[in-house]
Amino acid sequence: MTQTAAPTGVPVAPNEQGKAPNFLARLTGIQSFQILLVLIVIFLIFTLLAPTIFPNWTNIRQIVQNVSILAVLGIGMTFVIITSGIDLSIGSVLVFSGVVSAKVMQAIGGSGWGTALVGLVVAIVVGLLWGLLNGFLIAKAKVPPLIVTLGTLGAALGLAQVITNGVDIREVPTVLTDTIGYGNVVGTTIPLISLLALVIVVIFGIILHKTKFGLYTFAVGSNEEAARRVGVKVDRQLISIYALSGALAGLAGLLSLSQYGTTAIAGQSQTNLNVIAAVVIGGTSIFGGLGTMFGTMVGLFIPAVLQNGFVIIGVQPFWQQVAVGAVLVAAVFIDQRRRAAAARGSGSKSKVSLSSLWTRKK
Amino acid sequence: MKSKRHLVSLAALSAVAVLSLSACAGGGSTGGSTNASGNYNISFIQGVAGDEFYISMQCGAEAEAKKLGVTLNTQGPAKFDPTLQKPIVDSVVASNPSAILVAPTDVTAMQAPLKAAASAGIKVVLVDTTVDDPSFATASIASDNTGGGKSAFDAIKQLNPNGGKVLIMATDPGISTTDARIAGFEESIKADSSFNYIGVQYSHNDPAEAARLMTAALAKDPDIVGVFATNTFAAEGTATGVRQAGKQDTVKIAGFDAGPAQVQDLRDGTISALVAQQPALIGADGVDAAVAALKGETVTKNTQTGFQVLTLENIDTTGKDYVYKSSC
Repeated sequence: MTQTAAPTGVPVAPNEQGKAPNFLARLTGIQSFQILLVLIVIFLIFTLLAPTIFPNWTNIRQIVQNVSILAVLGIGMTFVIITSGIDLSIGSVLVFSGVVSAKVMQAIGGSGWGTALVGLVVAIVVGLLWGLLNGFLIAKAKVPPLIVTLGTLGAALGLAQVITNGVDIREVPTVLTDTIGYGNVVGTTIPLISLLALVIVVIFGIILHKTKFGLYTFAVGSNEEAARRVGVKVDRQLISIYALSGALAGLAGLLSLSQYGTTAIAGQSQTNLNVIAAVVIGGTSIFGGLGTMFGTMVGLFIPAVLQNGFVIIGVQPFWQQVAVGAVLVAAVFIDQRRRAAAARGSGSKSKVSLSSLWTRKK
Repeated sequence: MKSKRHLVSLAALSAVAVLSLSACAGGGSTGGSTNASGNYNISFIQGVAGDEFYISMQCGAEAEAKKLGVTLNTQGPAKFDPTLQKPIVDSVVASNPSAILVAPTDVTAMQAPLKAAASAGIKVVLVDTTVDDPSFATASIASDNTGGGKSAFDAIKQLNPNGGKVLIMATDPGISTTDARIAGFEESIKADSSFNYIGVQYSHNDPAEAARLMTAALAKDPDIVGVFATNTFAAEGTATGVRQAGKQDTVKIAGFDAGPAQVQDLRDGTISALVAQQPALIGADGVDAAVAALKGETVTKNTQTGFQVLTLENIDTTGKDYVYKSSC
């Protein structure tokens, strides 16, 4: 169990492999680091192709800004996928929370921080409730996560349309749009929404990799039965994780209101799949038990940078989806090879690096 | 130094992967990069990629760009969705074109990104759809959609002189163009007491959803005599739904837009009339407005283009040129 449960992004304890391998070799063995290299290479290539435009701070800034909301969603999805689950409902929960929050803020009136704060709490609580529903159905009713969250995907979106009659609410407190939506950190050109997202990512990254809650998350995803036998409260863990995913989707709902100034009910149609793709590209195993928060963040940037670069160099839009799809399948292929190698017991994980997939040993 | 070799081969591998991707992608690009003689570089951002309405607009814009000797590059999101369009707009703005032709996917959500583009000194021309406060835009070119809704009602009335129950199959609320078509249609139908207007259904730009809604509506009201479908996807789905319910003889559909699929439906008799917009003209006018603004000439702020009602009678004669294209 220790073999698969150990998160790759966490520095491996030196005694685990007998002797400490050299630092560089270990670093290149970590998949999220390999993915980071891929990102850097993509970045350099676009820098070569569009040297005056692509590496500009104004351009980088807008990539970072556009990734921010997805990053908040990616946190919850990383936890969920590490438990070998899936949460398809995040886009709809985001819209639903945004709608309820906008309705409440509309009812209170005013466009100051007081109203905005109530809206924030409402959005998170509403998201949390959807997450609890998902978690309860998955952990207690034993319905597969794919089915439960497919159900809540439709239900949350449908109810959002019921509440609004399908008409977007466009009254969002101006403090939200001016500060969180399009504001910068005072004295800089760093988008405030990105700083907020980064702080939340770091907090939950620490929770995932450095706390008992995080350890249990890996344990449940690695082997649910084994986790149960060593005393992990598996059901409670799963419910907490889906609730976390829902609450973060609720928060993202408020961020989306701030950014777009509308509930955008028809939007977010591909958000769930984009976030899942990012988590998987980042090296989190769809089979559970493996994954890093850092990898997810890198995984979010690969599609974003590819799309941005393709638009700048003027590539036909359809190719962007092809490229992201190819990266996604490659990431899962690497994960599978690594698992197969681990199952054969052929050496330590650090030897199964990206390049060794192509220089096959007999 | 094994690890070093790993690093090198890894870097080489990803370099090859990305280069080959962008190489073949470059070959498939439809942008007017071959015509680089112009000083002006215009980007056209569609509402959704791969839709015949926007392809026809692209064709019109490309032809005009070629005539004027400017470069035109086209981009578009995979779905009609502001959360997908905003990153594209931001990226296009970062590439600093002289002008942008854009069909905003949401009146509120696209306001700030497009205003930012205008503030960055890029001429912004709104084509087809608009935003809450288009004052920053150089020009707006769109069909007179309220008038289009009225034309659609006239077509339905012509097909059902005795009146009856009529339904609207719309796409999503909050899109300025379809909202105006619905308003125009509603205004006309409410003024005519022989018709019983039973409301709007939203099909979310998904033909399958429109088909499901249509069969459900026919189960509830089997005596529907007419449906006004507000855009291409809604019309395709409505036609499918009516056919599934076996009602193609009693339900007359007036569709908006004239893509190849609708024209086929018109020929088959599934759809009785099509209100065709002039997307190619909108695209060409958009390029004209952008270039005029860049040259410092006066630009008409708002241009409204007209419609052509297509029926079986005129589809092969006067209406032929109004059919949308699936490729230029």
